[in-house]
Order: sequence, then C-alpha cells, then structure tokens
Amino acid sequence: MKKLHIVAIIAIAVAIGAMLSTLSDSSTYADFAEAFNSPDSEYHVVGKLNKEKPSDYKPEVDPNLFSFYMVDNNGVEKRVILHKSKPQDFERSEQIVLIGKAKGDEFHARDILMKCPSKYNDGSNADFRTEDEMRELRAKEQAEATM
Amino acid sequence: MEYTGEQLWAGQLGHAFVIVGFATAILSMLLYFIGYSKKDESYRKLARGAYWIHALSMIGMVGTLFMMLAGNMFEYHYIFQHSSSSLPAKYIFSAFWEGQEGSTLLWLFWQAILGLILMYSSNRWEYSVMGFFTSAQVFLLTMVLGFYVGDMHIGSSPFTILLREHPNFALLPFVQSSNYLDTLDGSGLNPLLQNYWMTIHPPTLFLGFASTLVPFAYALAGLLERDYRGWFKQALPWTFFSIMILGTGILMGGAWAYESLSFGGFWAWDPVENASLVPWLTLVGGGHLLLIQKNKGTSLFSAYFLIVLTYILILYSTFLTKSGVLGDSSVHAFTDLGLSGQLVFIFGSYAVLGFGMLAWRYKDLPKNKKEDGLWTREFWMFITALVLLLSAFQITFSTSIPVWNKLFGTEMAPPADPNAHYNGYQLPFAVIIGLIVGFTQFLNYKRTDLKTFFSQTLRALIASLVLTIVIGLIIQFDQPLLLLMLFSSLYAVLGNADYLLMALKRNIPIGSSIAHIGFGMVLLGSLISQGGAETISQNSSRYNLEELDDGYKNNENILLMLEDTLTMGDYRVTYTGKESEGIYVYYNVAYLDSNNQEQFTLSPFVQLNNRMGNVAEPSTKHYWNKDVFTFIKYAELEDREEDLDPFKDAVEHDIRIGDTIYASNAIIILDSIAGVMDLGKKQEYGLNPEDLLVRADIRMYDFDTQLHHVSPHFAAQGTQVKLFPAENKKVGVKLEMYKIDPTSETIGLRLYEYKYKTKEFIIMQAMVFPHINILWIGAILMIIGSVWAIYNRLQTKRKES
Repeated sequence: MKKLHIVAIIAIAVAIGAMLSTLSDSSTYADFAEAFNSPDSEYHVVGKLNKEKPSDYKPEVDPNLFSFYMVDNNGVEKRVILHKSKPQDFERSEQIVLIGKAKGDEFHARDILMKCPSKYNDGSNADFRTEDEMRELRAKEQAEATM
Repeated sequence: MEYTGEQLWAGQLGHAFVIVGFATAILSMLLYFIGYSKKDESYRKLARGAYWIHALSMIGMVGTLFMMLAGNMFEYHYIFQHSSSSLPAKYIFSAFWEGQEGSTLLWLFWQAILGLILMYSSNRWEYSVMGFFTSAQVFLLTMVLGFYVGDMHIGSSPFTILLREHPNFALLPFVQSSNYLDTLDGSGLNPLLQNYWMTIHPPTLFLGFASTLVPFAYALAGLLERDYRGWFKQALPWTFFSIMILGTGILMGGAWAYESLSFGGFWAWDPVENASLVPWLTLVGGGHLLLIQKNKGTSLFSAYFLIVLTYILILYSTFLTKSGVLGDSSVHAFTDLGLSGQLVFIFGSYAVLGFGMLAWRYKDLPKNKKEDGLWTREFWMFITALVLLLSAFQITFSTSIPVWNKLFGTEMAPPADPNAHYNGYQLPFAVIIGLIVGFTQFLNYKRTDLKTFFSQTLRALIASLVLTIVIGLIIQFDQPLLLLMLFSSLYAVLGNADYLLMALKRNIPIGSSIAHIGFGMVLLGSLISQGGAETISQNSSRYNLEELDDGYKNNENILLMLEDTLTMGDYRVTYTGKESEGIYVYYNVAYLDSNNQEQFTLSPFVQLNNRMGNVAEPSTKHYWNKDVFTFIKYAELEDREEDLDPFKDAVEHDIRIGDTIYASNAIIILDSIAGVMDLGKKQEYGLNPEDLLVRADIRMYDFDTQLHHVSPHFAAQGTQVKLFPAENKKVGVKLEMYKIDPTSETIGLRLYEYKYKTKEFIIMQAMVFPHINILWIGAILMIIGSVWAIYNRLQTKRKES
C-alpha cells in the first residue's frame, strides 16, 4: 500500500469521526415534557418568561442563583433555576432558550440565551425630535465640523 | 403629496452608478471572453474601457452612499436605519457597512480596485482571468440591484426612499406632513458597533474576501486555457497576499471581540467567525500546495481543488451570514432580507462552475507518477494541507447545523459547549500542524539527507522539550493534550527561529521563517492565555455561599458592595461607585495591593442599548505578562433616588458602659464615656471654653467581624443641648448620644439605620489571561513575514521575466 493511501484512509476516518461527534455533541431543541421525561440528558428548551409570576434573585445570598417561571412553546410552565447571575435586561426578553436538565419539579439551567425585541425593519423606532432639538443638533454638528 | 426638502437626486445618482456598473461589468466580461475565443487583440482596448467605467461607477456608488450618510439624508431607508444626526463623524464608516447592502458595496469596491491592478498585471492572461473576474463582479452586483420581477426581488438597494419603497413606513403619521424631514431623525448606529475596531476590521476582512477571487480566477483561466503550469506563478503572490489580509481581518475581529465583548476571550467559535476562518484555512493549504507545484511540479490537482474551494467557501460563508439561516445561533449575523434564494443561486453557480471545470479537465491534468518520499518537504506540506482541509471540514460541518436542519427537517441545536466541541478536534489538528511547521523548513524538496536533517532539528526539539516541562509546571497544565499543544507550538517557534538564524547566515529569504514563527506564537499565545486563564472573581463576600447543587455550580462571580474591600486573586478590590456618561454607565473598581496601596482602577461599563439590549463591556488592565480582564455581570443601572433622609426612624436605647446593642448588621458596644477638656476640640465643635463636651467611645463589629470605632459627642452650652452624632457609612449606622444621666451612669443612644437594607452592589467577573501578548506579537510577525515573503517573490518573478 502506498503512503498516500494510508493517509487518505486516516483522513476519511477523521472526517467521519468529526461528523459523528457533531451529531452527538449537538443537543436537541425540546419542550419541557421531553426534558422531564429524561432528566439525565441535557436539552435546549425554548419558551417565554412568565411575567405574572415573581422571579427571585437575591445576589447578597448567592449571586449565581436566579429563579423564574418559564412557559414553553406548548404552554407548559415550570420553575427554572438558573445557576448564573441574573442576566441584564432579563424582563425585556421576548424569547428564552434554556440549556440544562430537569431535576425533580424544576428545570436546572446551566446557561441561558435571550432574544430581545429587535427594532430592525419596522417603522416603530422612527425617532422624532422637535424642531428646536434638530436646530440644536445641527448647530452642534456644524461647530464640530468647523473645529 | 409633495414632500419638501427631499434630495431625490442623490438616490437617483446612486441607482445610476449601480446600473452603469452592472451593465459595464457584463459588457467587459463578454468582451474579454469573446476576445479570448477569437484571439483578437482589438477587444482588449474595448474590454479595458468597459472595465474602467465599471470601476469608476463602483467608486461613485460608494462615494454617493458616503455622501448621503454624511449629509444625514434620512429620506433614504439605509441612512435612516444606520445613522442619526447625533452620530459622531468618525463612525460614518461603521454606519456605512453596518447593513448588508453597505457591506456588499464595500466588497464590490475592493474587487473593482483589485480588478484594475489585475488588468494591468496579468499580461497574456488578461482575457481569461479578467473574464472570470468580472463575472464574479456581475453576480455580486445583483445583490444590490433592487429590481423587482413580479413578486420576486433581485437584490436590495441601499438607495431606496423610506416613504415610497418601504411599506412599513407608508402608514406612519409623519407621512401626512409634507415637511417630515425637518423633524425626522435616523434610528442610529447600533452602539455596539460604535468602536474603532469596527472602522478597520470590516474593510480589512472584505479586502481579504475580495482578494481570494484573484487566485480563483487564475485557476479557472488555467483550466480554460489548458495551461496548467503558467497560472500559478501569477497566482502565487496574490494567494499569499490574500492569506495575509484575510488572516489580519480575522485576527482584528478577535481583537475587537476581546476588547469590547464580554464573553471572555478573543475567539468563541461563533458561526460567523467560523465562516471567515474556514476559507482562510483552505487558502493556506492551497497556497502551500502552489509552492510545491512551483518547486517540484506535483500536487497540481490538490492545489486547484483548494484554491477553487476557497472562493466557493467565501460565497458559502456569505450565504450563512446574510441569508438569516444562522438566526439565533450567532451574534453577528445580519437580518434576513429575503434574498436567501439569490445567495444560494450565486453560491451554487460558482460551485458548479469551479468544480465543473476541474472535473472537465481532470483527465487532462498532468499526473505525478512517482510517489513523494517520506522525508521530503512536499510530502509534509501536502499533509499540512490535508489537515487544514479536515479542520475546515469539521468547522464547516458543525457550523452548518442550521443548514442541515433546513435541508433534512431535523431539530438539532448547536453544541451546548462550543469550546469543548470545536477544541476537541481543532486542538489535535493544531498539534500536528505545529509539529510539521517546526521541522518542514529543514527538509528539501525531492530528497533530504536525513543525517543533516536530524542534527539540524535536534537543537530545537530538545529546547522545546525542556521549555514544555518548565512552562507546563509553572502554569500547571495537567491534560496531556494541552502539554502536547504546548510542545508543538514551542517547537513551531523554536524550529523556525533556528532556521531563521541559518537562513541569515546563508542569505536565504527569511520572510517565510518570520511568518511561521508568528504562526507558532499565535498558537502558543492562544494556548497559554486561554489554557492558563484563571477566574479570580471567587465570591469572598461575607455571605458564605452554600453548595446548593451538583456540578452546575459556577462560582465565578464576585459581589462587591459599595465601598467594601474584598480579596480577589492577588488584589484587594473596592467598588468605589458608578458614573454615567451618555449611554454608558461606568462602574469604578479600585485595585489595591496587599498593603492597601492603590495600584490601578478598572471601569467595566454597561452600554444602554435599546436596540439589542444592554451590553456589558469589559475593562482590562494590560501588563506585559498578563491581562486582568473584568466585566459586569449584574448591576443597578439607575441612580438610587436621592433621599434627603436616608435613615429609618431611630430606635432609642439606654445603656451603660460595657453594654451591647444590636443593629441589623452589626454589634455595638459602649466602651467609655469621657468629658473633653481640650479647648482646641471645643473650638472645633464651635463651643466656648466653659461649655460641657462629652464623648462616647463606641466600637462596632460588622459581619466580617471587622472593627469600627465611632464617637458621638454631646455638648451643653448653658441650658442649651447640642448633639453631634457619628456615622459609619460602611456599617450603615448613625449613633446619636441624646442624653446623659450621671446618677445611673447611663446614656441615651439613638440608633439610626439606613433604609436600604443592602447597599448598592455590583456582580463582576474577573479573569487573568497570562501572556496574551505572545498572541498579538505573533499576529504582527505573521503579517510582517508574509509581506516580506511576497516582496521577495515579486522580486524573483521580475528577475525571471
């Protein structure tokens, strides 16, 4: 056998290994029902924050512990224990992705991804200023330009 | 309705440049290809003329958009979306390429400029190379055409008018007023991009993207003309130029992320980062295969394959970042403009064209009959290219998970821990490449005398081994893979340094050695700074954190109360307060050494960003041998309401000397009461010499069992009583001695406590990255070495011709 053949076989084996490990490392998007059925495996659960129920954060006791209630896309609500500090702007989140495992009655999240409302591509963020404000801004700009 | 003040000519000018540029690109492409097939010299002048008009249109198009941004023409959608009248002039560039259309314009601009250089430097290759080159320009230009064919739109133009061409705006109230421009302000540039790195990183990256087109065009021209030996001499300097620029662009992105994003590092395996890294990897592989081809005349097919693949991967990465397919999985991806079909079409066309032509000429390609010897430079360079290809494949396959989901209807989520996932493969790949980079320069093409080879490489090998053991012990690497990586990157640096010394003696070009030393240092610097990184912000506050759970626990944050001093790593840190400045809130943290001498202050800050949510940005102290990197995890953004009376109602206690009273967070003990006779003191309190002044000495222990002393005073001026309470801000307590009863030896003490139970606090994360400067120095050496090598190559090329 030629050297190049050996090299080629190794390369193909590594490529297949890479594909398989991607498939095994990738977790799955799931709902709470699925996650609570198999508490030992890690899931990505997508849902929304229940803003009616209280979220609990006592940084002076433990800055790395935050709990709240999330409703998944099927309407199932669970208490979530996040083992991290409370994310900035948490209340404004539109959608949440939790990464973690179910435990007892609660979902223990190791990480959280949040999607905040995007103001791109719609007219809602048209920003109006009064004419006086505009005049002021333009004057300032001119002053800067002449500097 | 007639609107006043709209400058419609600007948009029309922009449109005109796009259309003229598009038409002349097609014209130039056709003239070049016809000229090629007819072998008619007279076409050259015409084709060049068309290309000149095209290039000038591209420059005009870019200039028009700049002018519109500078002139705050908010009647245009792109200007409205990406700029505002308060945007500082220095961020106009960032605003220009914040959106998809602007970044495509930037890309078109660079390709147009490179095309001019290519046109005059390609000599006899001009017809076919420029033909393929301009075809890419035609395809890319369709992305900004903004034409409608029925319901389908082709491209998205940056020159569209807000009110007429964007239905979302047509119903807004301001449409009713004809002078809406007097009051309309743009929605502004995303504050996250208001950063000087955003001014230089995108143009560098896009110049890198644009430059990969040149080797690709040469490769296709070689296939078309069946001249398999001439093209790579032309393509070689371009390829290494491209490697250098694209690599610089990628590293600049890393530097930006390190400096202004708070994920704690310079590389996060984010899909968009990956998408730009992958073509660089294949290009590095392809460039080195071209070197083999030039020096030994083998590896032709694999060189072709990697060069063609690189440009296709550039288009694929454009598809990933601009089609919206990455959606949630990346922080950098653009929003979807509904052009994914067109992007797939462009990517698909070039994949078919590139690989199709390679397959078409495959049988015709000269083949290498004899196998490469094991100890030859070409064998190991080939192995490197193969490892780079595998590395690119692994990254692409994982990054494309959202694409697989679309194709196969699966619901896979990206790896939960990207660092572990990607490093698991990329680290072993890097180990192999580092080792090969270390010794391959000592091998010759075709045949090497093994005795000389081993004696030449032994020195670097032993030195690397010793250094690995020493450094490994210092930074306490215990994983075998990390130790291997340490050895491999040290060997890459030392092996090439050794070769550099030899090359200097023998007067051989040294550019490549410098670049390889730089590459080794980039590997070494990433390994030591990331592998040796230490999170020093453990919680050391008075609140003992109970172990609540299992391995989920990540005790990596420190809670700092205002004006408290806590130990953090080698420092003692004090949170001294916050300051607001525009959209930024700075949290000042003072760092003291063990003698409580202030060393420096870091001010990690939060950017109030109503577009993307508030963003915490880091603050870093740079030492020559380490960086202290800190950012805010949680903090109060607003100032607490200024309260005229911050105290709760007082509680009164009658106590004797030695008695103890309890506050909610301190124990308070009365030590002594004494009359003050000192006249100076009395004067200080505004008393006459005959007045009575009494001092109570009180000690307090807070929950850190830290001791504090306070001394409230009591004075009697004739019949009038004056009280001088004493306050301790740290404990949050004010004590007021309001009466003295000499007969029962008791005093009356009013205890005031702060209304806020907790003081203002921040939660911060702090990491130490050791020796990250090795990485940056390595990056600079890579650039210098590449420029040097390209210069040398151009010199020799000139001599040859």
